[in-house]
Amino acid sequence: MKRIVTTAIAGVMALGAGMAQAADEVTLQLKWVTQAQFAGYYVALDKGFYEEEDLAVTIKPGGPDIAPAQVIAGGGADVVLDWMPSALASREKGLPLVNIAQPFKASGMMLTCRKDTGITSPEDFKGKTLGVWFFGNEYPFLSWMSKLGIPTDGSEGGVTVLKQGFNVDPLLQEQAACISTMTYNEYWQVIDAGLTADDLVTFKYEDMGVATLEDGMYVLEDNLADPAFKDKMVRFVRASMKGWKYAEENPDEAADIVLENDATGAQTEEHQQRMMREVAKLTAGSNGALDVADYERTVQTLLEGGSDPVITMTPEGAYTLEITDAALN
Amino acid sequence: MSWIALSLIVWAAAFALNVFLVRHGGRSAAYVVPVIFGLTILFIWEGMVRGLNISPVLLPPPSAIGAALASKTHILWTDLVQTFFKGALTGYVMGCGSAIMVALLIDRSPFLQRGLLPVGNFIAALPIVGLAPIMVMWFGFDWQSKAAVVVAMVFFPMLVNTVQGLQATDAMQRDLMRTYAASYGQTLRYLRLPAAMPFIFNGLKISTTLALIGAIVAEFFGSPIKGMGFRISTEVGRLALDMVWAEITVAALLGSAFYGLMALLEKRATFWHPSQRK
Repeated sequence: MKRIVTTAIAGVMALGAGMAQAADEVTLQLKWVTQAQFAGYYVALDKGFYEEEDLAVTIKPGGPDIAPAQVIAGGGADVVLDWMPSALASREKGLPLVNIAQPFKASGMMLTCRKDTGITSPEDFKGKTLGVWFFGNEYPFLSWMSKLGIPTDGSEGGVTVLKQGFNVDPLLQEQAACISTMTYNEYWQVIDAGLTADDLVTFKYEDMGVATLEDGMYVLEDNLADPAFKDKMVRFVRASMKGWKYAEENPDEAADIVLENDATGAQTEEHQQRMMREVAKLTAGSNGALDVADYERTVQTLLEGGSDPVITMTPEGAYTLEITDAALN
Repeated sequence: MSWIALSLIVWAAAFALNVFLVRHGGRSAAYVVPVIFGLTILFIWEGMVRGLNISPVLLPPPSAIGAALASKTHILWTDLVQTFFKGALTGYVMGCGSAIMVALLIDRSPFLQRGLLPVGNFIAALPIVGLAPIMVMWFGFDWQSKAAVVVAMVFFPMLVNTVQGLQATDAMQRDLMRTYAASYGQTLRYLRLPAAMPFIFNGLKISTTLALIGAIVAEFFGSPIKGMGFRISTEVGRLALDMVWAEITVAALLGSAFYGLMALLEKRATFWHPSQRK
């Protein structure tokens, strides 16, 4: 009897000690597949920045059929990366996502058009077919079109919208006059496919005054009420931003780290190095803290939806500066 | 909590009612029992979603799905026309029609029988996720590429069934036709095609659901901004799960109705067959 009790006590103590030593677990859900767009997180993992903060981080890659908001709603992640339009729309639908950090300062989204279609300015879109990504990525496009006053239902004087797959074929096949591209990814796929920069006209959402914030870190509002979770997020954001800044300064090394973490083996070195350099331009302006002016501009863009706005009312409590304030000081 | 208790009570009551009806209900029980069963499932679903506070982002209650069905009728109708009438039905008619034609050709020529059947099998074995983007590249974003995917999906089951059906007559019957000096066409029309009907309808019935699935899934790989597959794949990203379930409901009802229609036609066309006798 005595032995059993001793063993039990020893067991409990061992368990307690184990728990004290174990790092806090954080699961991050990416918005897309493993690529240099998420280099900061992979660098932080690889370089041990998360370990230094006593965190055990699991990075889950996304894909065309994964909506980060849905993953976090189902309890599959502690923190997700999402675009602000999609996150705010989810918030209005009843999923209280809160932005805790914003490593991307600028938007990398643009519309890439063939010059031979005669498009030189947004006025020329009328009557043309445009490729758009859906699955929550259509909001910036829709708010841009409603700002221009161009209907998207294919009616007279409007544009015909295609649900574009996640490749650039519609432009190459001339099935669409313009397609959605990211400065760091699809644009270069078009170039690699044989078109030159001279064949193309690009409209950056950033330059059109309808830029919305991309790739922010979002958590569920309820979780933020828990001080332990908050503390975990402070450490997570700090380590992630350290990873981002390291990736910006060492793009080739960061690209290599991304490649090592790409379980699919689909990415190539040249593509990732180029992507890392383009992504670095977008993250360069941010220390991780959300710029409230950028947030206000995004909200304004999304509210100006004409008859079908992305969000119908100004969101309350959709971001917090508490985490970044604590992380960066 | 009360919602959970209530749904358990309703479940138990409905169960008891069904048991009673089966024992004492007579002939009408055959219709009433499945209806009660279906309603109970819907009620338990509603009660559990409310009682356990399940986020509508994960599973909307049937009431929300019903509301979406009622309020978005025009969208659901546009999607249905695009996916079912333009994509699935066109592909179904072309796929099944050409399969029957090819089956007749194969029937006349042992050379084709050896050559074409394996090719048909090969096409049927192509994965739809690989086929759909290629069809979009070839035939564009609109319903034509979806119809092409459907053709590829229904062609083989239809071909195999028809070829099998054309071999359903036995030598004695064919010899009898020969003694009447019947031509190939006459033998086909009066003996072999009627004998093949049960097989052909089998293929037609299998193809109804394949056509609908093919058209919906093909829309995941590029489409205009309408169609059931488009709506399902985009509304998930927008967390409008009630709309996704509404589309699923429409697709399920439509698929069942399409199958039912074919089964009804079969009953009329092959009334003489042993399987149709009461």
